[in-house]
Amino acid sequence: MAAPTPTPVTAPTPTATPAPKQPPAAADFWGRAAAEAGLRGTTIRGITESIPPSKYAASVLAKEFEQATGIKVELETTSWDQMYDKSIKDMEAGTGIYDFVYIEQDIIYAYLSRNFLTNLTALLKEKPKLAAPDFRIDAFTSFINYFKDPKTGDLYGVPMEAFIKCYVYRKDLFEDPKIKEAYQKQYGQPLTPPTTVPDQYRRVAEFFTKWGKDNKIELYGTTVQAASGHPASFYEFVETILPSFGVYNWGINMETWKASVANGGQLNGARAKEALTFWLDMLKYAPPEAPSSTWDEVAASSAAGRAAQGWIYGENVVWIATDSSRSKVVGKVGVGLPPTYPGVLEEARAGKGYIGYYDGGAFGIPRTAKNKEAALLWLQYIGQPSVQPKWAAAAGRVVHTATFDDPLVREMDAKTGGYFTLMKTYGNLFAGAPPFPFHAQAREIVAPFIYKAIAGELKPGDALDQAAAALDKELPRLGYGR
Amino acid sequence: MAQRPIWPARVGWGLLAPTLCILIITGLLPFLYVLYISFFDWNVFAAQGVPLFVGENNYRRLVFDDDFLGALWRTVQFTFWTVTIELVLGFILAQSLVKNFVGRGIFRTIHTLPLMVAPIVVGAIWRLLTIPGFGPIPHYLQQWFGVDYNIGRIATHAFWTTVLMDIWHWTPFVTLTFLGAFSSLPREPFEQAQVDGASTLQIHFYLTIPMTMPIILTTLFIRIMDALRTVDEVWMLTGGGPGSATRYIGIHIWRVVFPKTDYGYGAAMSLLVLYFTIVLCWLLFIVMTGKFKQIQ
Repeated sequence: MAAPTPTPVTAPTPTATPAPKQPPAAADFWGRAAAEAGLRGTTIRGITESIPPSKYAASVLAKEFEQATGIKVELETTSWDQMYDKSIKDMEAGTGIYDFVYIEQDIIYAYLSRNFLTNLTALLKEKPKLAAPDFRIDAFTSFINYFKDPKTGDLYGVPMEAFIKCYVYRKDLFEDPKIKEAYQKQYGQPLTPPTTVPDQYRRVAEFFTKWGKDNKIELYGTTVQAASGHPASFYEFVETILPSFGVYNWGINMETWKASVANGGQLNGARAKEALTFWLDMLKYAPPEAPSSTWDEVAASSAAGRAAQGWIYGENVVWIATDSSRSKVVGKVGVGLPPTYPGVLEEARAGKGYIGYYDGGAFGIPRTAKNKEAALLWLQYIGQPSVQPKWAAAAGRVVHTATFDDPLVREMDAKTGGYFTLMKTYGNLFAGAPPFPFHAQAREIVAPFIYKAIAGELKPGDALDQAAAALDKELPRLGYGR
Repeated sequence: MAQRPIWPARVGWGLLAPTLCILIITGLLPFLYVLYISFFDWNVFAAQGVPLFVGENNYRRLVFDDDFLGALWRTVQFTFWTVTIELVLGFILAQSLVKNFVGRGIFRTIHTLPLMVAPIVVGAIWRLLTIPGFGPIPHYLQQWFGVDYNIGRIATHAFWTTVLMDIWHWTPFVTLTFLGAFSSLPREPFEQAQVDGASTLQIHFYLTIPMTMPIILTTLFIRIMDALRTVDEVWMLTGGGPGSATRYIGIHIWRVVFPKTDYGYGAAMSLLVLYFTIVLCWLLFIVMTGKFKQIQ
C-alpha cells in the first residue's frame, strides 16, 4: 500500500496585508500603564535559551524596559536543555517561579495540550489599560500564527525570534579563480554553490576537503551538526536533511501518528534511508569536531573558516558574517537555499512540502505566573515595532514584516550576503516543526538510533527501521495513534 | 538492682528529634514519593496527561529493557575500572606522601586541586582538552604519534577518556583518605616487622592493608557509590555519546525522567539502581571482610 502524502505544516511568510493605521502611541504609555497598575518596583523573572536574540533581550531590552516602566526583568539565559527542564518543571508543578518563559516553536503544541500557558488575547481584553497602542498582531510575519491556538485563534506567545536554517558558503573560496579552475578541471563543471543533493553537494564537499588537504590548510568540505549524544544531531537530520530529501514531518504520518512505512509513515522509507546515508557520508568531509558539534560548535567551526559550506541557523549567520571579534570570515559569507533533492523545491512552491526549517520562538506567560500583568507589558514591549530593527541587525531574527525594509536591516543584509532578502523572499518555502503534542517524547525515542548511526553502531537503514518501529510502539503507549 | 540511666530515654529522643525530622523530610519522604510514582505510568505529555496506576509493570519492563540493561552494564564496567585504578594509584601516592621529600607540600597541593573543582567544570575542562579539531590532546596525539583520537566518533576513545577523567578527578580523594589512615598507624608493629626482616611487600600485605582495612572499605564504598551515579562530568564531556558508548545509568535515567518526562518509568529505574548499589556494596563487604566464608 502506498504511503499517504504527508501534510506539511503551514510555512510562515511575511504578512502581505498592510497594517491598519493605529492611533499614535502615547510617548509615556509604558511608564503610565505601569504606574496606574501599581507595577512599578515589580520584578519579573523569565527563562530563555542562551542564544543571540535572548542575550540582546537580556542585555539591552530588559534595561530599556526597566527605565520605561520601573519593572525589573530578570532574564535567565541558559542552555537549551536546562531551559526546557526548568520551565516545564515550573509549569507542571505550578510553582510560579517564572513570569514568562521561552517557547520554541516546536514545543508550543505540547504546552497548549497541557494548558501551560496564559491566553494573551483574553488577558489583553481583560486589562485594556495595559494594551500598548504600539503592539499590533498584524505587524508580525505569519510566524506568529504558530503561537495561536488553532481552534480559537487566541494568542499564547509573542514571537521574539524567527529565522531560517539556510545554506551558508565561503564566497571567497567559491569565487577564487584558482579554485574554480581546479574544480572545472576535476569535474568538468563550473564551481557553484550546490542546489541539489546528494551528488552535487557531495562533489563540492569532497573537492574542498581534498583541496584543504593538498594545500595543507584546515579546510573541510561541509559542516555536519552531528553531536552523537546531543539532540542537535537529531534535529539537523529531521528538520534539515529529511525535508531536503522530500521527507516531511519527521517521516511521521500526521493522521495516524505512525512512522514506519508498513504503517503509513516514511521514517524508514527509501528516501529517508538515502538521506541518512548521505548525511552520515558527509562526516568524511566535515571537520573532525563534527561528531561533537551541536548548533553552537557548527557556528564556531564556520566562523573559524574551517568549512567551505554547510547548514547554519540564521541567528548565527549575522555574527559569523559581520562580527570580526568572533569570526574569521567576515565579508566572505554567502547564503542560499538549502540544496534539495530533485522535485522537492517544486513541491515546496506548490505548498505540498518544504525545503528546510523555519525556526524561532516566543515569550509566553505560564498560567501559574505570579506577575502576569507586568509580564504582559514586557511581552508587548519586545513586540513593538521600534525595537525590531536593531534587534534584527544584532541577532539575525525578524518577526515583523516591516523590519525587512528598515535601512539598518538592509545594510546588514548586504553584509550577510543577502540573508534577510533570502528569508523575506523564500521564507514561505521553509516550515516550523510539525504540530506534535509529543515532540520531546518522539525525539527521545528516535534520537538514540541516530546517535548509534553516527557512531557506526548501526547502519543507516537499520537505525531508521529500528527508530520507526520504536516510535510505532511507544506513541500508542503515550496515547497517540492507537 | 538495675542501674538507672543518667538521662531518661525521652531526653535522648528529644535531642535526636530535629535530626530525625530533617532525615524524614529530606530523605524518607522523597524516597516514598519516588516509590509511589514508580507504580504509575506518568508522562506529562501523554494524551491522558494524568498518572495511570500500572502496578509493578514498570519494573517488569525494566528487566527486558535493553537500553536500561546496556546502560547499567556500561556503568558497572566504568565503575570497575575507575575504582580499581583509583584505589591502587591512591594507595601508592599515599605511601609516597607519607615519607618526607623535597617539594612534598607543593606536590600534595597540586595533587589535591582537582578535588576542589566542581564536576561540571571538570567535564568542561576535559571537553576543552579533548574536543577534536580544537583540543590540544587530539592535536598532539595526531602530530606526535599519528593517533586519530576522536571522542565524538570512536566509542572506545570516549569510554576510556571518561575513565581517565574520573581518575584525574577522584584519585586525590583516595590519596588523602589513605594518607590520613597511614599517618595514624602506630609505628611499633612496623618497626618490629623490620627488625624481624619482613620485606616491604610483606609489610604492606600483613600490616598496612589489614590495619587500614576499615578505611579502605569505606573509601571503596564511597567511590563505588559515586561512580555508579556519575552524571555531570560525563554529560559535559560526551553527552553520553558517541552512540551509547558513555550513556551511563545516571545519564540514561536523566534522559528518561527530564527530556522524555517519563516520570513513572524513571522512578522505577532509580529505585532499581539504588537497590543494585546496596546489594553490590553489601556483597563486596561480605567478601572483603571474610564473612562470606563464615556464612558458607
